[in-house]
Amino acid sequence: MANVLKRQIRRSAKKTSLYIILVGIACIIIFPVFFLFSFSFMSDYETYSEWPKPLVPSFKAHFMIDKDVEGYHLFIFNKSEDDFMPFGPLVFTNNEKDVDNLRKFIKLQSNCKISSQQIVEYLEVVDSDSRVEFTIRKDLLANYILFFQVVNGAPKAVLNSLMVAGATILISLTIGGMGGYAFARYFFKGKNILKLSVLFVRMFPAVSLAIPMVIILAKMGLYDQPLGLSLVYSVGQISMSIWITASVFMSIPVSLEEAAMIFGTTKVGAFWHITLPLALPGLAACAMYSFIGSWNEVIAAVVLTQFNPTFPVIVYKALVGSQGQINLITAGSVAQAVPAIIFTLIIRKYIIQMWGGVKV
Amino acid sequence: MATLELVDLAKRFSKKVWGVKKMDLEVNEKEFIVLLGPSGCGKTTTMRMIAGLEEVTRGTILLDGNDITDIPSRNRGISMVFQNYAIWPHMSVYENIAFSLKLKKMPAAEIKQRVQETADMVKIGELLKRLPGQLSGGQQQRVALARALAVRPRLFLMDEPLSNLDAKLRVIMRTELKAIHQKTEATSIFVTHDQSEAMSMADRIVIMKDGVIVQIGTPDDVYFRSANMFVAGFIGTPPSNFFTVKCIYNNDKIALEHSQFTLDLDPKGFEELKEYNGKEIVIGARPEDLLVVPDSEAVFTEEILVVEPQGSHQVVALNLSETIVKMIVSAEAKVKPGDNIGLNFNRKRLHFFNKETEDRIHLKNEVE
Amino acid sequence: MTITKSQLSLSRETRKKMVPYLLIAPVVIYYSMFWLFPVINAVSESFKNVDGVWTFSNYIHIFKDPVFYTALSNTAFLVIFSVTIEFLLAFGLALLINKKFKGSSIFLFLAMIPMALPAVAVGAMWSSGLATRGWLNSFLMTFGFIDDASKFLFLAGGKMSTLWLIIIIDAWTVIPFVMIILLAGLQGIGEDVREAGAIFGGTKFQILRKITIPMLKPTITTAMILRIISAIQIWLIIVMLFGFNRLPVLLEQVVLNYDQLGAEYFERIGLALSVLVAIIVSAAAILYLKVSGSFEKEEKENG
Repeated sequence: MANVLKRQIRRSAKKTSLYIILVGIACIIIFPVFFLFSFSFMSDYETYSEWPKPLVPSFKAHFMIDKDVEGYHLFIFNKSEDDFMPFGPLVFTNNEKDVDNLRKFIKLQSNCKISSQQIVEYLEVVDSDSRVEFTIRKDLLANYILFFQVVNGAPKAVLNSLMVAGATILISLTIGGMGGYAFARYFFKGKNILKLSVLFVRMFPAVSLAIPMVIILAKMGLYDQPLGLSLVYSVGQISMSIWITASVFMSIPVSLEEAAMIFGTTKVGAFWHITLPLALPGLAACAMYSFIGSWNEVIAAVVLTQFNPTFPVIVYKALVGSQGQINLITAGSVAQAVPAIIFTLIIRKYIIQMWGGVKV
Repeated sequence: MATLELVDLAKRFSKKVWGVKKMDLEVNEKEFIVLLGPSGCGKTTTMRMIAGLEEVTRGTILLDGNDITDIPSRNRGISMVFQNYAIWPHMSVYENIAFSLKLKKMPAAEIKQRVQETADMVKIGELLKRLPGQLSGGQQQRVALARALAVRPRLFLMDEPLSNLDAKLRVIMRTELKAIHQKTEATSIFVTHDQSEAMSMADRIVIMKDGVIVQIGTPDDVYFRSANMFVAGFIGTPPSNFFTVKCIYNNDKIALEHSQFTLDLDPKGFEELKEYNGKEIVIGARPEDLLVVPDSEAVFTEEILVVEPQGSHQVVALNLSETIVKMIVSAEAKVKPGDNIGLNFNRKRLHFFNKETEDRIHLKNEVE
Repeated sequence: MTITKSQLSLSRETRKKMVPYLLIAPVVIYYSMFWLFPVINAVSESFKNVDGVWTFSNYIHIFKDPVFYTALSNTAFLVIFSVTIEFLLAFGLALLINKKFKGSSIFLFLAMIPMALPAVAVGAMWSSGLATRGWLNSFLMTFGFIDDASKFLFLAGGKMSTLWLIIIIDAWTVIPFVMIILLAGLQGIGEDVREAGAIFGGTKFQILRKITIPMLKPTITTAMILRIISAIQIWLIIVMLFGFNRLPVLLEQVVLNYDQLGAEYFERIGLALSVLVAIIVSAAAILYLKVSGSFEKEEKENG
């Protein structure tokens, strides 16, 4: 029985060390992403006036209004200092203009909404009772709303991005899907070159490809147009789509099509009524993959757009050009990242399958 | 060559799932043991524990009296033929067979000789330079066999090695494997779910079900003295026919009353049935122990449902009160569907089972 | 002219043979219009000056520019170390999680997140993290590893530390991707061939070296080539963290010349530079294929 015990100890030691390593790796993966999200919910005050910065954004802010001979003073609770710190205009009065400025300041700096009337009420309390402390719930989505308000053309850029992605999906799925079907069902000359296209289209840098495309698209009247950009994206996406759809079609036995043909339909009918419905989930995954590729792309978009940038381009320009606070930029990034992450997780099975199948 | 002993061996996969619940087995030197059972019975798990591929939850494995339970596979002195061959596709046939010899640092000349010798024994001496991808399934099987034999193991394990071959090749390989065993005399353990494979190759068969041993015995033991209804139903093609009957025991006569017939027995030789007087028991009758007789001698008559010619004999199926009864008749017998035939039992060969426990009711003078 | 029956059936057969070619025709046409044509265009334009006269001057300009050589050596450094480190870590990880364990699907789920993150989000994440008052220093300070005086100046380091920073960030982003390719490859190798290795006398290391790695070779080659191709083209994260010209790499110079300097003269330099990058990428990929292929042959001869 000593053996049994020894074995159990050895096994659980092995298991424990495996899990420790895995948890460590998981932390390394999650932490940066967590902080990206965390920053996107922080107010300007948290971002710039607390040090060390809070690791988790707070859900509310504490304020204090005090009064001396000069007038009223506003304080905010600073977590890193563990004390109330002066906040905003050093001195203010209770006239309408000052109160309104104060309201705006609180909203902008701490993402907290308070009405002028409420401020006036607090000031009255201060008048009668020396100082007042109050807590306001933070508007967590304030950065996101602000990002789309202050960054030039952000809503339009999202629309552009969606249009580019839609066109890319349409082009790459039809053209790539036909190629993928040929790949799965037929032998033909040049099959190997087609197979390697996934590699060789990547060898010429995307940005280098985009440069001559400026002229080509300009001639076609598509420069700075979503459709023009999707034509460039589709080059890479078609080769991926061939790969994905080929593996999807390969997983559907030819015998199912043959059976349909025996029971009275044509080759086209068999494809339409049998293969296509069965392939639909795989094709949807392929569409999502194209979406992610097109939605995330920034390099070619920087070169190929001018007045109609895509969403990643404006986030990129805000980041590189430092046109905005980092918490706003992270909010823009998260807004861009979330759809990509969700789609990736939906189709993760296919991604593993697909890359497992790619062999040089 | 070696002896193997499994003592109280068990394997638990998860809280509730046991692969093997309890396994005690002694394998003698040079013996050819077959682990037989339906899928999920624990036979492959048992073999993998012996091979060291599966950690043991409880119990001990002794090889030649030495405890090898916690020794890594490579140091156990065993070799194995895998179900899917598991030959390495990136190595030539020669490299596959020489793999373990190289790791043992055997001199090159000796390796070469050993590989050639073994390859010749399994008739792939010409294929040594080929890659596995260029071989047929049967040839790959032989490579796997040669690789396992080249080690000259103390214990030779085979995990359903023939299950991926076509029917004809399977029968050929059966014979060859048995011949090789007779030549090498390696103690062998062979896992299969095919009872005819087990019957034709084994010195002793270990029948397993749900992680425990149901019966250990020679092929004759398990066929003629099946330990319970499971074994009787599992062994033999077609399997045994079962009839639930009520046993009426009188001193001068035993009447076994089925809903469709009554079988009378002379109590002599069936004394053990006395304690089942008035109770229901199960008769097991092998297809060849149902006899076609003139109606006057018949225990019951029934219409033939289907006739399946087998060449050497024919299998006749009847429908007796919604149960299919199968029996074997000679190739010459003129039988056709729709005929009414009279049947009797070969009383000496009947099996009796306790209806509740499904265990065999042992009779003193059973057929040897 | 009358058409005989045999002629008809022949034409049907030809038609059938044409089906796959018809199916791939759009791909071919598309590639020639939107890949081959711009590539040829880029190459030919790179040999012309502003007035459209054929010349080598664009390339001569590049080869005379010391920044090009800095960019070249920086890129080489990044490629060699990042690809090697990423491969080793990803392979180790893939081996580790190529076992059945509780939570493996959750782990894979997490590992996919860096793959999914848009490049810009990765940039925002690290620039908010590596700033002197970023989350990394905040994190270390909150848990008492450092104090205000000893906070790290991640982005203000010298060239070497900057290069390593980029390698680490690239590893964070890319390792999951490489791991998933390798994992998919590993799962394609049956458990039984490795078990056979154990039965026939191999230690864990011998099984890895003699069975797993050789059988995984096609997958490894794919992963490595994909990584080499994209590692040579690294630039965006560098620009997002450090701006232009702080750590010159090849593609950053392309973008700098083309997009930032704003004169047609420089646009053509950028074009010529991008042609050079494409040549380097292809050469590296072919070289890798050759080297890994010849190793295989060598081993065959020895064996």
